[in-house]
Amino acid sequence: MNRALLRLSLACLAMFVLLLININYVQAFEATSLAGKPGNSRTFYQQFQYQRGSIVANGDGTNLKIAESRLVKGGNGTYQRVYPDGPVYAPVTGYDSIFSATGMEAAEDKVLSGTAPQLQVHNLISLITGKQKQGATVALTISPRAQQAAYQALAQDGGHSGAVVAIDPSTGAILAMASYPTFNPNNYVTLNGTQLQKVDSRYRADPAQPLLNRAIEATYPPGSTFKIVTSSAAFATHTVAGPNTPVPAPTNLPIGNGHVLINDANEVCANGNPPFIQAFWLSCNTAFGKLGIKLTGAVLHQYANAFGVNNPNLKIPLPVAASVVPLETDPAFTAFTAIGQFDDQVTPLQEAMFSAAIADGGTLMTPHLVQSVQAPDLSTIESATPTPLSHPDSPTVASKVAQMMVQVTQNPAGTAFGTANASIVGVVIAGKTGTAQNGINNTNLDDAVFTCFAPATNPRIAVGVIVKGGGFGSAAAAPIAVKVIQAYLKVK
Amino acid sequence: MTGLPAAIGAPAVSGPVPMPRGRRRTELLMLAFALLVVILADAFAGLGLNGKVPPTLLEYGLGFAAIMIVAHLAVRRFAPWADPLMLPVAALLNGLGIVMIYRLQESGRGGNPGNVISTLTTSATLIQLMWTAVGVVGFVLVLAIIREPRILQRYTYTFGAIGLVLLAIPALLPASLSSVQGAKVWIRVGGFSIQPGEFAKLALAVFFAGYLVAKRDVLALAGRRLLGIDLPRGRDLGPVLIAWGASLLILVFETDIGTSAVFFGLFLAMLYVATQRTSWLLIGFLLFLGGAYIASTIFGHVAARFTDWLHPFAGNNAANSAYQLVQGLEGMGFGGIFGTGLGHGQPYFTPLVQSDFIITAFGEELGLTGLMALLLLFGLLVQRGLRAAIAVKDPFAKLLAGGLAFVLALQVFVIVGGVTRLIPLTGITTPFLSQGGSSLVASWGLVAMLMRISDTARRPAPQPIQDEGMTQVVRAG
Repeated sequence: MNRALLRLSLACLAMFVLLLININYVQAFEATSLAGKPGNSRTFYQQFQYQRGSIVANGDGTNLKIAESRLVKGGNGTYQRVYPDGPVYAPVTGYDSIFSATGMEAAEDKVLSGTAPQLQVHNLISLITGKQKQGATVALTISPRAQQAAYQALAQDGGHSGAVVAIDPSTGAILAMASYPTFNPNNYVTLNGTQLQKVDSRYRADPAQPLLNRAIEATYPPGSTFKIVTSSAAFATHTVAGPNTPVPAPTNLPIGNGHVLINDANEVCANGNPPFIQAFWLSCNTAFGKLGIKLTGAVLHQYANAFGVNNPNLKIPLPVAASVVPLETDPAFTAFTAIGQFDDQVTPLQEAMFSAAIADGGTLMTPHLVQSVQAPDLSTIESATPTPLSHPDSPTVASKVAQMMVQVTQNPAGTAFGTANASIVGVVIAGKTGTAQNGINNTNLDDAVFTCFAPATNPRIAVGVIVKGGGFGSAAAAPIAVKVIQAYLKVK
Repeated sequence: MTGLPAAIGAPAVSGPVPMPRGRRRTELLMLAFALLVVILADAFAGLGLNGKVPPTLLEYGLGFAAIMIVAHLAVRRFAPWADPLMLPVAALLNGLGIVMIYRLQESGRGGNPGNVISTLTTSATLIQLMWTAVGVVGFVLVLAIIREPRILQRYTYTFGAIGLVLLAIPALLPASLSSVQGAKVWIRVGGFSIQPGEFAKLALAVFFAGYLVAKRDVLALAGRRLLGIDLPRGRDLGPVLIAWGASLLILVFETDIGTSAVFFGLFLAMLYVATQRTSWLLIGFLLFLGGAYIASTIFGHVAARFTDWLHPFAGNNAANSAYQLVQGLEGMGFGGIFGTGLGHGQPYFTPLVQSDFIITAFGEELGLTGLMALLLLFGLLVQRGLRAAIAVKDPFAKLLAGGLAFVLALQVFVIVGGVTRLIPLTGITTPFLSQGGSSLVASWGLVAMLMRISDTARRPAPQPIQDEGMTQVVRAG
């Protein structure tokens, strides 16, 4: 029987070898894919076992924590996310919940959670020295002063929805990004899945769309603020020599197909042939409509693109919805495009970018939110380098447009004189109002739009404001921009 | 074999003949090492959980050591020639199982991290330790009562009857007294439950050995030759068909495919060793596969096991029938190569991790390295058993040792292969490691029988004592 017993031994050996091979496969080769399986409890709970990096707003140099992980009391060393000023910074931070993340929490997840490749050496050292793993801190360009002012101004604007974006024109650093109505990310930090589902479905069902970050995810008609682009094109192509060159501005402008373009409230535009700068501060639609037809749709499209429109790939690093100005060939549509109506749709960020490009002498800096990333040992592993995104204008053209934008707020007849002149603000603002008609047959309330930069000489901040259904840009949007500028520049 | 005595008729030697060594000191030394590993593991489990050495370390450690020393002394007394490796390996496996049960029992309790495992009471460790004591008492009794393996041969059919009755009891009892988690393999009286199948395994191994030794010549008779294989005669198929039928009945009435596979595998292996006919293996294997296939088409729970095996990640939630399997696999993956360390993992995510899935808890906390070591310990125990089978001369003991060693290997293969998704999962216990008394006591009984057989195998043959008067006095062994 010994021969059979030897064979039986071989069978036993084979069984153990199979088991050994199999556990090697499971624990060494399959481990990574197992860790990535949806619903893996161990991977899931791992995220609460260490301190996720903070998000700080450092636009004022104050390193204000706007998202941080704190130890849960009596929670066995688990951490929970806290957003100290939740709703104010919600469009920036987003939330980090047990199931998903949005905003910067999602965009910078790898560094915040400490899994980014740049942090691997650091993690290895922590492992060896027995220190706890920790995420990196992300410092943002957001200025708490500007952000607070933007949020407060939107919230106090009679319940209209809207958004504000402020940019440092010389670097592209985003100083404020507010959206209203918004949500409180602290409601998302619960470790209770059922509770989380409830919170999330309530926010999603809310018709006010609190989760929508209007600053970069929603688009609105730019209205007359698009005249900045039309003017840039006019100067650059020498179609209009300078701000004082007279331009035709009829009361009624037939644009084909039986359409007639009129000025706001059917007004007359000065004497019907005003200097270009006056047509700009009065915001005459007929003058710019006629100019648009003369420039052609292709040229308008080209300059709009140079200002950052029609770019679906912009990331700050949050993905930005593409602002749209289509290529028009029909004269009627071209005229509408030139005054920012019809198919034109831009984000509030794009509004700020219009002014930022003019403020920076015609160079549009890439808008960005991340100033630097610091490893837990405080070494900087990443820091922002301002880079130009495009050069929509030459410095000469930019200064001509800037000169016109100053008159919008400083000329007593300018559309924003009443709400944004120097004696009100305490500093000279260069801006452009927009009042965009919308809805079927323009039945809805107008969207109020304002884009500006300040101070007019040596600009430090460019602001874009859109208030949905706010009415006139000068009345509803400009005061919000003024408050943000005052807070950031510390005037008044 | 070490220390083979001088053959009869060898030249006369002057002075006392050196006695072959029983290697009991080696056993004691390795047992001390095993105890050290277990006590350190228990300390590490406590340190991993809450940074403190377990308060029960001293009493449990001393208690466990005392039990094992008793086992060692019993071996010295009753089986001095037995294999010196079996007891230390069994003690190490048993001890590590207790440490893991302690670690799981403490999870989430007394401020420790993790969730409380509701199916594990705060006295689980103590109870497992008491079962260890019962197991070792059984071990000592087996060694003390069965002084020669062949004594058992006299009771071949008695053991056969005992085995069948033990197997059949849970099937005949109402579900309220016999069913736990869908497997109808228990006898539950009061708060007390035993798995008679664990003991039936030993009884049937004795029966098979006795029966096959008696009938092997008949069974080995070849009938027709087909495709180079000698087929047995049709009339000799009877015993195989009966064993097959019995294993299918277990499958049907006790909804336990694992136990059924282990029994049928045990029978086939012993039949093969007795007859040396490959054809028996093939016929048996095909019969089992056919039976399993038919069962899977008739019984939903068998088919579900196959689906879970092939597509465990189909729906990963608590309602998913493969949830336990997935949790175990994810735990092992989480442990990776070196493991999280005792007390640092989250084995409590796996439902009933303390019984069938305890090997995944070891995989998670001791890692691939620790799990390989555990499997090699089982492999070593099996190998020592087979070695005893080959060394022993008595055909009955040979067959019994081979069967017992093989059934240990098969059980480890079925459960570890099941929880690591090598084969479809069937719920049987992991010998020595899983929580539960029956399995532990039966495992100690199995080791006792293997040690008894190895003692017989290694015992020196009666030695001639030569004196000048040429008279030979045979000293009794």
